[in-house]
Amino acid sequence: MIRSSEDIIIRTVSRVLVPFIQLFALYVIAHGHYSPGGGFQGGVILGASLVLLLITYGPRETRKHISEKSVTVFSSLGVLIYSGIGFICLLLLGNYLDYGKLSGLLHVAPAEARSLGILGIEIGVGITVMAIMFSIFFDISSGGKPPEDEKE
Amino acid sequence: MEVTLLIQATDDSFRILEDARNQAKGLLDSARILEDARKQAKGLLDSTVGVTSETRQMEKQKIQTIFQGAQETKSGFQNFIVTFSLLFVFWVLLSGKFDMFHLTIGVICSIVVAHLTHDLLFANVRVGETMVIVRRFIIYIPWLIYQIIRANIYVACLALSPRMPIDPHVLRFRTKLESDISWVTLANSITLTPGTITMDIKDGEFFVHALDKRVADDLHAGEMEDRVAHIFMEADHIYIQDALDVARIYVELRKWV
Repeated sequence: MIRSSEDIIIRTVSRVLVPFIQLFALYVIAHGHYSPGGGFQGGVILGASLVLLLITYGPRETRKHISEKSVTVFSSLGVLIYSGIGFICLLLLGNYLDYGKLSGLLHVAPAEARSLGILGIEIGVGITVMAIMFSIFFDISSGGKPPEDEKE
Repeated sequence: MEVTLLIQATDDSFRILEDARNQAKGLLDSARILEDARKQAKGLLDSTVGVTSETRQMEKQKIQTIFQGAQETKSGFQNFIVTFSLLFVFWVLLSGKFDMFHLTIGVICSIVVAHLTHDLLFANVRVGETMVIVRRFIIYIPWLIYQIIRANIYVACLALSPRMPIDPHVLRFRTKLESDISWVTLANSITLTPGTITMDIKDGEFFVHALDKRVADDLHAGEMEDRVAHIFMEADHIYIQDALDVARIYVELRKWV
């Protein structure tokens, strides 16, 4: 079971760093289609920022920022975005995840449609990875107990 | 305002008591005069406290609801704006792409993160002081770098000299800083400076490991602490101390009167 940390240095530094870690994660996701990184890496960084919050502030404070319910929603949402984009391509008479076919829908050139489509996939992957990373850590740290039983 | 009123009142009541005592010397009804003076002084103090607490009450009732609500939304909104601008600058530094598409994504991401975390980044900052603190902090950094370079050379000399004249010991001192962010700034400044490491902070008490006597003396001189106090405007707490002193004097006086 994880308790909130007593150390004032750790508490304050993580409080100040978490916004920047999260923004860096979003940067890695958003620039994934032409620089190193991508949905999985960005999602892991995003999950790590939430894990940092959890191990410094404990489950109760963390739940104010992100709850188990929203984590469940996010993990499904990411998969929905991914498969949704894939199926739209199917409906537009292309292959699964054939982004070029999205050009008609987005009113842009096929090359740009591919870029945007990959960005959408990256976002979906990132959201799911973040949610799953966090929920695995949350479940292990709480010992699988329901949230009401946790006392700090 | 209220503090000066209280000081005035305590002064006056002291003077009344003094006068009465001088007057009562050698007189037959000295007890009566002293009693009168006591009543007068007590009345004065009570009315002053009455006035101050009355104004405080009025302020509370009238202004508090409007003021506090405005303050909270303002501070929340201000925190959001400052966090957003910091994050957006960070984004531009990372991204280095200035076309419309990437800047738009940057704005969206900054808004999302700022919305999620604006209560984290500026948890204990008082309203309207953020820009001053940021400016003073930026001014502080070159000085810190200079200190680090100086300490680096000194520690290198220590390590390279054949006899290696080190004298490690643990310092323990109480800081005058008050907020957690200033504690952490001081602790990390100490740790960044070679030769000293902050091991722990417990309720404003620092435990620092120092490599030798000169380094420890530098730390004891307290220049770094003063500068950190200046960044976070914690030299201003003298006024609060004044008010507390006056309150204590008043309590003592009430007992005595």
